[in-house]
Amino acid sequence: MFKRHFQNPWVQNLTLLTLVGLVVYYFTFAFEFKYDFDWAVFFVEGQYGHMGHLMVTGLNTTLTITFYSAIIALVMGTIFGLARLSNFKPVYWFATCYVELFRNTPLLIQLFFWNFALPYAFPEEIRFWLFDHNFEFWCAVVGCGVFTGAFMAEIIRAGIQSIPKGLLEASYSSGLTFPQTLRKIVLPLAFREIIPPLGSEFLNNMKNTSLAMTIGVTELFWSMQEVLSLTYRTFESFIVATAIYLLLSLIIAAFMNIVNEKLKIMPQDKKTMLRGLADVLFKPFGIIGRGLEYVLWYFRRSPEKKTVSPITRMCHTLTCWTVKGGKALFLVALAYVLYMLGVALFHFNYEIIWANLPALLIWRFPGGDSTEFFMGLGGLSGSLLMALISITGSFFIGLIIGMGRTAKSHVLRIPCTLYIELVRGVPLILVILWFYQVVLQFVFKLEIHAFWAGTIALTFFFGAYIAETVRGGIENIPPGQVEAAKASGLTYFQTMRKIILPQALKQMLPALVGMFIAAFKDTALVYIIGVMDLTRAAYAINNRVMIYPFEIYTTVIVLYFIFSYVMSLYAKRLERKLSPEQVRIEM
Amino acid sequence: MRVLKITAMAALLLMAASVAFAGPTYDRVMSTKVLKAGISNQGIPFGFINDKNEWVGFDVDMATEIAKRLGANLEKVVVNNNTRISFVQTNPPKVDMVLSNMTHKRVRDEKIDFSITYFFDGQKFLAKKGAVKNVADLANMKVGSMQGTTSIVNATEYLKSLGNAAPKVTGYDGEVAMFEALRSGRVQAITTDSTILLGYAAKVPGQFELVGEFISDEPYGIGLPQDDSAWRDAINFTVQDMWKDGTYMTIYNKWFGPDSAYPFPMTSKIEMWP
Repeated sequence: MFKRHFQNPWVQNLTLLTLVGLVVYYFTFAFEFKYDFDWAVFFVEGQYGHMGHLMVTGLNTTLTITFYSAIIALVMGTIFGLARLSNFKPVYWFATCYVELFRNTPLLIQLFFWNFALPYAFPEEIRFWLFDHNFEFWCAVVGCGVFTGAFMAEIIRAGIQSIPKGLLEASYSSGLTFPQTLRKIVLPLAFREIIPPLGSEFLNNMKNTSLAMTIGVTELFWSMQEVLSLTYRTFESFIVATAIYLLLSLIIAAFMNIVNEKLKIMPQDKKTMLRGLADVLFKPFGIIGRGLEYVLWYFRRSPEKKTVSPITRMCHTLTCWTVKGGKALFLVALAYVLYMLGVALFHFNYEIIWANLPALLIWRFPGGDSTEFFMGLGGLSGSLLMALISITGSFFIGLIIGMGRTAKSHVLRIPCTLYIELVRGVPLILVILWFYQVVLQFVFKLEIHAFWAGTIALTFFFGAYIAETVRGGIENIPPGQVEAAKASGLTYFQTMRKIILPQALKQMLPALVGMFIAAFKDTALVYIIGVMDLTRAAYAINNRVMIYPFEIYTTVIVLYFIFSYVMSLYAKRLERKLSPEQVRIEM
Repeated sequence: MRVLKITAMAALLLMAASVAFAGPTYDRVMSTKVLKAGISNQGIPFGFINDKNEWVGFDVDMATEIAKRLGANLEKVVVNNNTRISFVQTNPPKVDMVLSNMTHKRVRDEKIDFSITYFFDGQKFLAKKGAVKNVADLANMKVGSMQGTTSIVNATEYLKSLGNAAPKVTGYDGEVAMFEALRSGRVQAITTDSTILLGYAAKVPGQFELVGEFISDEPYGIGLPQDDSAWRDAINFTVQDMWKDGTYMTIYNKWFGPDSAYPFPMTSKIEMWP
């Protein structure tokens, strides 16, 4: 009986309202906050300058980096995504190396490498020229762009490959030429597939720019920390920075939503409001497109004229030779790069690497102090352990939240959606700080080791991502099965347990392995709260050795890469095993 | 029904968690026999990781000695320039004291309490040998400093006073990044407390030198929770006792004595109450 009442929308809304009221009541009256908010710090000029201006400057830098790096990422992604489909093997290998290398190492380490190690590869004059031209800023821009580009390349490749071969055959047999097929069939279909994941990559890119702080770029996160350390206003600075990041995410998400809406196929009479807005917004592009179409149509050659004149033939052979020359040039360049790499590797100081490898792998285990985490365990094993614990934890969070996200009841769906969207809109590095300095300390009054604080933050963060995976898995199950289960008298939980989850989990497995890789890479960020993970260990060693940053960061990159790559190979194999009908097309 | 039950349980749990024990620091340390100290792990020679991967330094030794004299076990917690204040500022404090080459400043004293000065330092500039002939040369140089410290503010003021209206001062994330910026040549000088500069300059002997005068006074204090005079007294007395019986100088000479890697002669005296 109770259940039936609960299906009433107003009962659900009332419950939600009561819950919100309870939370508000708890935090305003019952909870002892012992903190006086002083928002004036952002409006009043203090001893150390105007904090509001500092934040605005930071926001400006963040926006600039986001914008430039998004363009770089898109260009890199398109080039390398196409290169991954190339028949010319060296290009394919090169693109694959790029994608795998950058996807399987943490951005933080990549930035360290670009910033600290790379300048030493250049002769002094070039180095000083670089340093005179805002090196850190461009380092962050290119670093973020190249990193995101690797992810975009995979998305673009997958989008192009997702077009069924039959469609291409049909288009060719109906007399369309290759450019026409590309324009009319491949690109529109591919774009429809690509836009949602591409949008989330743009979002990730924006959040990732917060790491530019580590190399001394004065972006939003840097400003937040500066405000924090000059005014000691933890809450105010955290809240403002979080709000700005959320707002930016919201704007990007909204924009991507509009683009997505524009690309959807929907009948004229069932157009939504959003589609109307999208149509208006994209009108200029439509006009340009139609104009181009007209021009192209005007310049088209009729089939009768398609005889080959000597000049055309010459042009053809010339292009042929140019392509061949380009290929040869590419090979030479590749060989040169490989040679340089070989030389650099040969001149490495392997003694330094060898001497510090144990520390990078296990840090001080088992010789650590009693107050250290698990006898001084850290380095690579610490990172792996942290990733393992947090993924296990976030799997359960994700399962519950993901189920709640697909529930019909408002009471379940709205809080779950809120959790997912809020967490996904904030950079992980900020989530870690929130947990370490605010949530565990103030809200839960917990005194725990930084390792556990980091693990809990990661768990919480990846819970939201896994929840989205779970939701995707659940929504992939044909609705007929749910109906059948309902008709045969199973309850919601029985349906979930016996029918939906077993299938959904199987589908989710590759994505979960991918999530583990992401968590493993992102453990690099707990370096900020002083956990002796692989990154912090490398940092400490570099702090001591000082003059061999190349050797140490390369070793760390290799260590991260090996583990991530092996896992991603495993994920790919799983995927292939679980979906035998996958067809690969070549263009 | 189930949903409501779970919500109620969760709410109750939250309530229970908030009524945690939070007493004055002195009583807590004495009863639990655990002294939590916030120390940096990337500031040579105050707190850093040595080549045996041990966490050592002047601040570490000081904290160890204080803990020993109070009869408590020391628990070291990593802090950095951004967290060293907030960790003693929170209620209850995350750490009982912070030794992290932190200057005693009035603005900081409004948020937390400080012990008597336990180390005397001043801000200086470090540059490539021979790069700075005259202090005025510094004015138009690109200067690096550390984010989350007042060194940036001091340096900007100082360069302005030397005649550069818009000085270029970059704040790097920690000492390592700052020194690396100098070493690779992206800044021509770095500035922070002179002992830290000495610590890093000693990494590549003979290449860098301290230039100019002290541009500020940097008396280091131990950061303590606000309004806890029993605890502040305990720390102050301990530091004075250490000075009186010579333990302080033993620790000092270990890190800054003439035979150490970063010699820095003692020029001042700890405040002694009769």
